[in-house]
Formats: sequence, C-alpha cells, structure tokens
Amino acid sequence: MRSDEVVDCHVLVIGSGGAGVRAAIEADQYGDTVLVSKTIVGKGGCTTMAEGGYNAVLKELDSCEGHYEDTLRGGAYLNDPGLVRVLVDEAPDRMADLIRWGAVFDVDDCACVAQRPFGGQRFPRTCYAGDRTGHEMMTTLTERMADTEVETYQEVSIISLLEYEGRVSGAMGLDRNGEVMLFRSDSTVIATGGGTRVYDISTNSSSGTGDGYALGYRAGAEVIDMEQIQFHPTGAVYPYDARGRLVTEAVRGEGGLLKNKLGERFMTRYDPERMELSTRDVVSRSIATEILDGRGTEHGGVYLDVTHLPASQIESRLPVMLEQFLKFGVDIRVEPMEVAPTAHHIMGGLRIRPDCSTTLKGLFACGEVSGGVHGANRLGGNALAETQVFGKRAGETAGKAAVHGRSHDPAQVEGERNRLGKYFTGTSDPAAVWRQLKLSMWEGAGIFRTLPALQQTRSVIQHLQSLQLRAMTAENLVECCTVRNMLTTASLIVDSALLRPESRGAHVRKDIAQDWTMETSPFGHTFISRGCRGIGKVSR
Amino acid sequence: MKQLTLRVLRFDPKNDDAPHFESYTIQVHEGARVLHALHAIHDDCDPTLTYRYCCGTGQCGSCAVRVNGEPVLACMEEARDGISVEPLEIPVIKDLAVDLLPYIEALPVICPETTATAQMPGKDLVETMKPLRSCIGCMACVSVCPALAVSDFGGPTVMRQEMRLTLDPRDTKDRESEAVTEGLFRCTSCQACWKVCPKEIQIPGKAIEKLRELAHYKGHSLPRHAEVAALIKETGRSVTWTAPSFLELTTEVMEPYGPVKKSVGFFVGCMYNLRLPKTALDAIEVLRRNGVRVIIPRDQICCGSPLIRTGQTEYVDTLKARNIAAFTALSIDTVVTMCAGCGSTLKHDYETPFKVMDFSELLTETGFGSPAHLGLNVTYHDPCHLARGQGITEQPRVILRKVADITEMPSICCGSGGGVRSGFPDEAAALGERRGEEIKKTGAEMVVTCCPFCEFHIAGHTDKPVQHLATLLLNGYKEKEKP
Repeated sequence: MRSDEVVDCHVLVIGSGGAGVRAAIEADQYGDTVLVSKTIVGKGGCTTMAEGGYNAVLKELDSCEGHYEDTLRGGAYLNDPGLVRVLVDEAPDRMADLIRWGAVFDVDDCACVAQRPFGGQRFPRTCYAGDRTGHEMMTTLTERMADTEVETYQEVSIISLLEYEGRVSGAMGLDRNGEVMLFRSDSTVIATGGGTRVYDISTNSSSGTGDGYALGYRAGAEVIDMEQIQFHPTGAVYPYDARGRLVTEAVRGEGGLLKNKLGERFMTRYDPERMELSTRDVVSRSIATEILDGRGTEHGGVYLDVTHLPASQIESRLPVMLEQFLKFGVDIRVEPMEVAPTAHHIMGGLRIRPDCSTTLKGLFACGEVSGGVHGANRLGGNALAETQVFGKRAGETAGKAAVHGRSHDPAQVEGERNRLGKYFTGTSDPAAVWRQLKLSMWEGAGIFRTLPALQQTRSVIQHLQSLQLRAMTAENLVECCTVRNMLTTASLIVDSALLRPESRGAHVRKDIAQDWTMETSPFGHTFISRGCRGIGKVSR
Repeated sequence: MKQLTLRVLRFDPKNDDAPHFESYTIQVHEGARVLHALHAIHDDCDPTLTYRYCCGTGQCGSCAVRVNGEPVLACMEEARDGISVEPLEIPVIKDLAVDLLPYIEALPVICPETTATAQMPGKDLVETMKPLRSCIGCMACVSVCPALAVSDFGGPTVMRQEMRLTLDPRDTKDRESEAVTEGLFRCTSCQACWKVCPKEIQIPGKAIEKLRELAHYKGHSLPRHAEVAALIKETGRSVTWTAPSFLELTTEVMEPYGPVKKSVGFFVGCMYNLRLPKTALDAIEVLRRNGVRVIIPRDQICCGSPLIRTGQTEYVDTLKARNIAAFTALSIDTVVTMCAGCGSTLKHDYETPFKVMDFSELLTETGFGSPAHLGLNVTYHDPCHLARGQGITEQPRVILRKVADITEMPSICCGSGGGVRSGFPDEAAALGERRGEEIKKTGAEMVVTCCPFCEFHIAGHTDKPVQHLATLLLNGYKEKEKP
C-alpha cells in the first residue's frame, strides 16, 4: 500500500461556500482547523452565485416572530420549528459579523443596510449587495478566513467519511492528480451545499452534485425530506446550454412582472394577493401550468418584464442580470426576459439538531446539505442567512467538541482504494451516465410527480447504479466518485418522494387527492438512513 | 446541434516538454459558449483535457482562458468555429488550468478594529466601493499586465483591492504605503487590465491613479515625478526647451492649400512642441493638404497627463482651465490631437466645451487624399492611450494601408507610459526590449505609431526607424507629387 498524505486537525470542514467558510472561521477559535474545498475557495458552491439577498430582521417595525411565521408558512409547516427559531433570532447577529468584517451591502440614506421585499414575506427584510449578494458575502468571508490560522486544501474532493470506533473521524479525499489524501479530525463539519445538478435544468454550480448527502448517508447518517426540491420559478430558457441559469427573485422584488404570451399577468389566477411575490413553490407551479396549457413563449417560458422600471434602477440593483442577458443578446431595460422553473435548492438533507450535530457522532452539518430549516419550501433570502447562522453554530459545536485522538481504520481506506481501482477497468462513461440521470430526474421527479413516473425514474437510477463507471486516468477518478454521489442523491430524492403520500410545499403528487391542508397534514418528515426509512406521523 | 472545430493548447508538465495545439471537431448546441465546447471535448473526445469552471454564469471567475489570444470567461464567450483556446498567461498547472492561488493569496485583506461596531459606511462611500468590489478573481488582468511580467509590481487586482480598502473607514491600515511597496508607481497605465476585465472594473483610473494621488499627498511621489511636476508648474510644460518649439515655428492660423473644408484647433502637447516639432509640422502639412484650416492657440500648455497619471493633481485644474480658455477664446469647436496621451486626457479627464478628435479620427471622418503607396512593409504599434484609452485602432490602419503594407504584432504596451520611463527606467527598458523582439518577429522595415512617448521609447529598442503616421502619410503625398 502506498503511504497516503495524512493531515490531522481538531476540526475538519468539508466545503467552501458560505456555510463552510463561516464554520471554519468559528472553529479556528477552538483548535487546528482544516478546510477542504473541491474548488478554489470562494469560487465553488452556490453562495458565490446567490444573487438576491439575506433575510434578517433589522428594523423595529419588523419582528423575529414575523420572520418565524413567514418561514414556517412558506415551508408548509414542515420545518423543524427549533431550527427556524435559531435562524430568525441569529440572522441579524450574523449579518452584523459580516458588516464588521468589511462586507459592502447596499445602504439607505442613513447608512443602514437596505432591504427589499422578497416572496412570501410580510416585510421587506431581504438585505442585498445589488444582485451579487452571495459574491459579496464570499469575498468578505474569504478575506476574514485569510486572517485566521485555518489551513485550506483547495481542489481536493472528499470521497468518503472516515469512521473509527463508532465515530466519524475525518475524511478521505482525492487531490487534482487523483492521489489519495486522508484528513483525520476530532470533529468533522460537512458543508458541501446542495445537489440539484442531478436535474437536467438547474441553477447550481459545478459543485452542486449532492456529495454531502451521499457521504453522510453512506456513513450511516439520517437524511430527511429529500423529496423537497425547490424549483426556482425563474431560470433562463435559452440558449440551450444556458437553460436554468438563475434569474434572481430580486427581479420580482424590484417590481418585475410575470406575463404569459397573451400578455396576461397570470399570477392573478394563482395567488391574486401576493402575485409575483408569492412563495417560490406557488410561482413555479403557476409558470409550469401556463406553459403546459399552451400559454408559454416561443422558447418555452413566460415573460419576466422590468421594462417599466427606470433604467437606472435596473443598472444599480440588477447589474449582473443586465450583464448576463446582454451577453445573450437581450437588453432587459427594453425587452422582457423569458424564464421558466429550474431546479435550485434541496430543502431536505442531513438531520441536524440546533447545535448542528447530526445523527452520527463526530459529524456536524450546516447550510444546504442539512435539512429541516426550510421545510417544504424555502423563502428566498433564507439560504444565505442559514449559511451564516448554522455555519457559525457548526463551527462552534465542532470546535468545542472533545479531542478524541486522531485515528483511522486502514481496512476502510484499503476498501476505498479497491473501489477506486475498479474504475480503471470500468466500462461506462460517467458523463453519459450523468446525462441519463439528469434527464430522468427532470422527467420523473420534477415539479409535478406521479407514482408511475417516480418509479420509472427509480428504475433508471437503479440501472445506472449497476453500471461500472470508467476512469481513463487517475485525474478522472473524481468524476466517477461525483457521478456515484449524484446517483445516491437522486435515489434519496426519489425514494423520499415515494415515501410522502401527499402534496406539500414543493412536492406535488398529481395522482393523490388529499383532504388536508398543509396546517392539518398528518405527515411529518420523511427520513432515510441505511436500513431505516419512513415518514413521520403528526397527531393533530 | 452544430459542428465546430477548435484548437486547444494542451500541456502536461509531467509529460510534455512544451505546449502544443490539438484540434478538435465537436457537436454543440446553438448558442453554446466556449465552456460548453470544452465540455464537449472532455465528454466526447478526450477526458484528459483539464480546465476549470464552477458557476457557468460569469460570477466566480474560475474559467478565464484566452480565446484567439484575448482573455475571456469561457462560460460567457460564444464558441465559434475556428477559434483557438489557450490558458491565461499565468503559470500552467495543466492544459487550461493555471495556478491562480498565488495571485489570490497576494490580495490584501481588511483589518478592522477588533472591537468594531457593525456600522456600514455611508451611501456615497458604498457606491464608490461597489464597482471595486465586483472583482471575481478571474485574473484576466494579471494575464495581460505588462508591468507584472517584468517587475515586482503587485498587479492590477491587488491595486484594486488596496483602493477598496483605502476607501473603507472600517479598515485600519495605511494602504497607500502598502500599495507603494507593492509597486504602485510601476503601472504604465496601459489600460489593458480593465479592457479585459469581465466586470469592466476601471482599475487604472478608479484605483491606481486615485491611490497614487492619495500616496502623493502622503509624500510618496517618486523624485523624478516630482521634478516633472515642478517643471510643469514653472514652465507649463513637462519637458525642457532644447530647440525652437513647434509653437515658435508656426503661426496661430495655418490655412489649407485650396478651399477650407473644415476648421479645427490643434493641441500639440509637450513632446511634439518641444522634442519632436518636426513630426507635428508634418501633421499640420497633412491637414493643410486635406483642406483643413488649423488654428494653433498660443496659450495652450501641458494637458496635465503626466500629473494625473502620477497622482500629482494639485495643479491640474489650473492646466485644464487655461487650456480650455485658450481654445474657447478662439471659438474652436473641434480640437485635434496627435499625441495619444493628450487625446485620452482631453477626452476623459477634461470636461471640454469642444469636441476632441485624434488626428487619424479626423482624417478618416472628413476624408483624406490618397497618397502614393510607398511599397514599405511596416508594423503598427497601437499606443495604449489611443487603442485602449480612446478605442481607436482601425482609423490609423485605414490610413496606413493607403501608404504601406502592415504586418501586425500583438497590441502590448511599450513601457513608456504612466511615469514608468522616468520613474523606473529598468522596467521601461525591459518592456521596450520585449517590444523590440515583437517588431523583429514581424520582419517589418519600419514601425509606425501615433504617440510621441511610444515613438521615442520604441526607437531606443529597435534598429528599425519609428515614425508617426502623419510623417509617413506626408511622405506618401510627396512621393505622389514626384514626376
């Protein structure tokens, strides 16, 4: 056996988006902290792409209770109330951290952080930096982290969690050349973000491949509500390769109007009270219905129109949108955008307690990879807040955890090596497998779901999982591991969807009639861990 | 689907001695970007192709490459048939993946008070900082920066970050001094960085010149720059008299030969007035032969460019006011320059009540008589302040093609600008030498340009003659007159 590069630390953080970097900054106060990033820190993950904003109660007229209620209602009451309470109570403090660390948010005339309205909220509480809010946060966080002792390993992909004496004791990764690295830790924080790249049309970055759900599940952790996939209402529809590119909710927050090809503001039919600023699940279904009913545009979307807004407002508040559409030949100041729903966020994930501990000893989770905060539908602006609130908590809990002595099980590592070795003699091209997977997921596990379609997609996933993936060189091993993670994540999504016999939030079963509302639903979380799965029952 | 053929520069330092182009023919969807073409190569032709990407939407700066030599984000640039794709000019890890980390790690970070309260700066400051904040760290600017290639200049985005920190009241460090040690005065103000920036951050104007100004007021100006400033203040000119000046050799109004087609003011600039008056006289002669009445106000002085570029701005408003008055007193509505630096300064740093045009811009717009083709093979050096400063690249070539054949070379700074020639002669010489090598490669017999600083500097680094476009054009006219 070759000797592996072994890195020992107190806290290992996997992931370099908003949650991971925030966790590392916090954990650094308690001991040696290592952050492992699949990409260059600050570039990967979805935080840096997040456009619209960060929800926090900052004004006296607003209240944390209001934020709490909006979040629960938006989440179709599937949220874990304890987690929601933490989110809304601590979001303002974490915003203050960012400001202390130099973040440049937009401000009003009194130098207070400016806030705009977002969907499903009774108060304009979404803080923003133009439409590059997440980028601003990542810039601030990476600057802050550079000022700590956190050691970073960049472009190293974690492929499995290490287990030793009943605890998670670190992780195994592959560097850019496909060489194995071992990271051994007392505590491990998983902050790997989401995974909607398992869908054909998705907003996610290259790292949105669901690695964390798969790593956690394989190590024995429990995931909840994996069927709850947020389809963002407004993604680009053309050209082909740009399909799904996020068109921020801030466009509607700033006053953008949704119209079908007849010029009708069709939201009057679906949510006349909240209109364009209804919750994302509702707006997505409305758009999808308009398109299915033949009132879509030439490219298969609906219009999102800001041409009635002053050009200066578009230029200062939506500069990234303006720039991106101009690149594709559309000047949004004078012509409408065409948009359609796109897979955006996984509300479900690793089950956590408010201190971010998971169901496995030694493993903590924060950010999109965790479940329970957003219930069955996430409010726009709550994800960035979640990264900071739970990133800090995960870093703190992991940092305060006891020192356990850093060890690993050589047999586990050898087993992983053998698995990797088999990829060299595999026969299936990982890119082709991914293509089949994402088409099948879009087809069978999309906005509208039925039992036969879900079962069909499940059988496709099972077939794809039976194939032996091929790595041409050691550098290509990570592609095989990533596709394997996507297959695991997709199967968790589909299995969870089959476990939930109701329509709830983003999960819509067209073939099930129900006589309960989201408030009176008899069902709680779906849950899956190795050898145990089901759906919680709620006594009302 | 459509078919594309593209060339990609491949290099695996473990196995290859040198980079080499590979050609790939692939199928992509209509509207595909370069990134999607790279995906197609990776998925369908060669999975060993290494390239970097993350967001795919122009927000993370992972995927910058050079397409046909120009830095772009692969995810935003449309893939076209026949393009070449190369890595940025940064040390290559493999194929298109370059080592970005040293440049990212070089960025200074904010140092707030440990006991700071969470208070945002005011709206005006936030609005000033925001454009400097939108950097996505793609390092396209680093790839094209000439100063960084030959000196220990920290680089454009480091300067951008220093300016952002200087502006922020939450930061506690002396960023001006830090910037000086990072080579603040080594930038040649060539403008290449912001012209390739996908976020169009105006680093030279909005960061470097502003930082130089702040550094100047803290006493950091280079002695040579201070001497120039003193000379301007004393004489109104940035260089000394050594021979009769252009203004002494001309009268206020130079009438054209034949009917007056157009009447313009002429801004001569210090170099053409005092160092190269003969060239300026050639330009006047060309204008006169093309029906242009040239009015040359006697009261015009230095445009202020040497002061603005080096941050010594105290006296600039005086210069501006005197120059504007000199031209408006004669009711001039169009002012022509033949110095790229003066032209760019008048266009961007002044608010003039008259229109400012480059010599080549005026001639191509109003029309010019055909010269004889001299049968020369020349190369054209794009002056930074004309090509990138004023966006004028085609007009000089239109004129040039009438009189000579052009062999092109890459458009790169010669090293004379931004006060670098006086402040850091070694750096300027190193860039001049690079220019000399490029000129040599073209096999041209002569170098043509439109800037006295370039003309002067390049002449020291090539054995070929260097001429202003006006001189060559005049020679074409004279040749035509020969019996």
